[in-house]
Amino acid sequence: MWTFIARRLLQSVIVIFGVTLISFVALQIGGDPTYLFVSERATEEEIAMVREALGFDKPLHIQYLTYVANVAQGEFGNSLSYRQPAMEIVLGALPATIELTIFALTFAIGMAIPFGVFAALYRGTPVDGGIMTMAMFGQSVPNFWLGIMMILFFGLYLRWFPISGHVPFLMPLLQGEVAQAFSNLPQTLYYLIMPGIAVGFYSLSRNARLVRSSMLEVLGQDYVRTARSKGLTERSVVVHHALRNAWLPVVTMVGLEFGFLLGGVVVIETVFSYPGIGRLVFNSINQRDIPVVQAAVIVLSLIFIALNLLVDLVYAKIDPRVKL
Amino acid sequence: MTRLRHLAVTSASGLLLATTAAFAQPAENTIVVGLSADITTFEPANISSRDNANIARHIFGTLYTISGDGEVSPDLAENLEISEDGLNYVYTLREGLTCHDGEALTAEDAAFSFNRAKDPANAFTGNTPGFVFSSIGFQSAEALDDRRVQITLGAKNPIAFGLLTEVYIHCKDSYEAMSLDQAAATPIGSGPYKLASWAKGSEVVLEKVGEPAKMEKIIWRIIPEASTRSAELIAGNVDIITNVAPDQIDAVNASGNAKVQAVQGTRRMYVGFNLSEEFAAMPGGDAIQNPDVRRALQYAVDVPTICKQLLNFECVRATGLVNPQNANQSLTPYPYDPDMAEKMLDEAGWPRAADGTRFTIRFQAGRGRYLNDQNVVLAIAQYLEDVGLKVEVDLMEWASVYVPLIRERNVGPLFFLGSGGALWSPLYDMTDLARVESGTNYTHWDDERWFSRWADIAAATTPEETRVIVDEMLQVFYDDGPWLHMYFQPDFYGVSERVDFVARPDEKVYLFETGLK
Repeated sequence: MWTFIARRLLQSVIVIFGVTLISFVALQIGGDPTYLFVSERATEEEIAMVREALGFDKPLHIQYLTYVANVAQGEFGNSLSYRQPAMEIVLGALPATIELTIFALTFAIGMAIPFGVFAALYRGTPVDGGIMTMAMFGQSVPNFWLGIMMILFFGLYLRWFPISGHVPFLMPLLQGEVAQAFSNLPQTLYYLIMPGIAVGFYSLSRNARLVRSSMLEVLGQDYVRTARSKGLTERSVVVHHALRNAWLPVVTMVGLEFGFLLGGVVVIETVFSYPGIGRLVFNSINQRDIPVVQAAVIVLSLIFIALNLLVDLVYAKIDPRVKL
Repeated sequence: MTRLRHLAVTSASGLLLATTAAFAQPAENTIVVGLSADITTFEPANISSRDNANIARHIFGTLYTISGDGEVSPDLAENLEISEDGLNYVYTLREGLTCHDGEALTAEDAAFSFNRAKDPANAFTGNTPGFVFSSIGFQSAEALDDRRVQITLGAKNPIAFGLLTEVYIHCKDSYEAMSLDQAAATPIGSGPYKLASWAKGSEVVLEKVGEPAKMEKIIWRIIPEASTRSAELIAGNVDIITNVAPDQIDAVNASGNAKVQAVQGTRRMYVGFNLSEEFAAMPGGDAIQNPDVRRALQYAVDVPTICKQLLNFECVRATGLVNPQNANQSLTPYPYDPDMAEKMLDEAGWPRAADGTRFTIRFQAGRGRYLNDQNVVLAIAQYLEDVGLKVEVDLMEWASVYVPLIRERNVGPLFFLGSGGALWSPLYDMTDLARVESGTNYTHWDDERWFSRWADIAAATTPEETRVIVDEMLQVFYDDGPWLHMYFQPDFYGVSERVDFVARPDEKVYLFETGLK
């Protein structure tokens, strides 16, 4: 197993190198970013001075290799907009996004499993039809539209939930302010409900379908029939025999789903004025704040790599047939 | 079971408390503003965006200030003397000024604020070094005594007195003691409010420390999505929002909680004619070299209808590049008269061909920067097609594609653009075209009747004399200029019924005098 982990970690270096190169090239395609940092009345000399100060005067390959060399030493550069260390800014925005993603994932998986199980158990009935219609709706509507509709209905009309904003939990916790973090928790959850549902609704729908089909397959297996013929209760058959095996593909999905949700928060963070990494990256791309975009790409890539690794390890643990 | 019940009760109480907090209206002594753009820095010499500057201006005083109607008046200084040659501006500071850390604010601090912003070692790129200093040819600042600071320019500049109002003043000792990173995050200002907290990407809280200031606390919330801002205003969670989307104006007005204040802004929207030799070789580029063609096209576009239908605003068409109160008052906006446009195009030697087309021309524009810009561009293109042009619209991503083209003066032959203006001097608006090779002369216009007159303005000795020259220049611009005149972009502010805020035309949100009704 350790060889497997070491091999995966080595591969991750190549992945990180690749994604930073792609994002660097993509940001440079648009032309010289210097113009976004000078006044429209700046003279040629002033533009040249700023270009030099920002490091855009060097050839692209030199800029990239310098960047890579600095990253290797743990130096991610300063944000061009915030004028503060880029990694500090990214890590400052990350906890809010993690909160949102965990909430959305918990909501999506927590609801998808019972919905999927019930749809499978009541296959062909109105219960199944209703759940699958909801799943189709969830996979069809764009999450930003759902977010705006929720704001209008639950936020503005019913006044049940706050329209926008964020109350931090993880950040004070990471800073050692445990009491503050837990006193924030009810509000943190309260502010997460609408954006969390908007982000997680697509995953809920997709996973409900996945659990349903997985359950249907398992429920038709011989060992389930055997369990029933032994006189076990239906509850015991479903929970201890069927669901346990239907669970395997869901575990794989959970890990990937976290990454999917992490990438899917960009628009929702904007709609709900949620100060997370998605909105930060979106703004930084618009402002051509290359160091921040690069730092965020590295952080997100590392999260994806770690999640994939974790999924593989968990999968091996719960399915004895899988050998690493 | 008891533990479960206890947990449920605690959770319910927590959520109830959270609900109460989430829907708490702003306190009596607090005003909440919803902004559309993020705040990136409080380093006074690096601030460049309008939203960032709106907050910073409450933290930092300036020597003089400009009111909403364009009047220049004292702020930290009480007096200004300009030397006869126009090179030295001597400001006398008010007595008893201090910075937020208690340090006395003297002329040495004011001089330091200027010189620090200019210092190349700091590599600042904000509005002060990047725009103000380069526009006025700032050389240096020095303290003449405790209260008098002298600003020296490289050449006489008729708009320096106005631009100098944009330089933020702070204390020397505190800023010398801070690193650049610290200065960007923890400003120590000289204005009536101090920074209490800043949650990046979320909100900025200011607390009152001096005068003029009616409210004890100002909370600036960052709410990028226009519909979310409107919802927060209608729900009563914020008092003022900027950039209300035109399609949400009716909803806000109908809410009973808030009204939209629409003001004609100072930003000048126009269609530029790129007259460079390179663009003259392009289809349509040759046609617009002729001033008669350019003038004909002025009649082809129905600007008031564009304003009404696409911007939800009744505007008066611009007559040039100067804001209305400083414009040549003898000029009247070009009317919408497509027949006249067709007749003039025929006379200019561009009749309709057999397929009904006079000439083909490319029309470039950025997307998402100005109010409903994409639809405005498409409408203009349609009006031009109605008089026989074949218009190839080229809409581009704003920041990464259009801006570099604009800055390289490499856009056109037709292009859509807005340029920030001011009310306090016509010359501010006109300096976009101070020289043929100016970075802001995106059209490459080189009419001697305009550019030669700048020397006359520099030599003018009275405001009246200057005014005559300005009017003559504006007449040339109106007749044969390089802009298809459009409108001054309206700004829409959503304002809660509980506050007495009055929106300004210059996009500045200054809340010193804003209180509750």
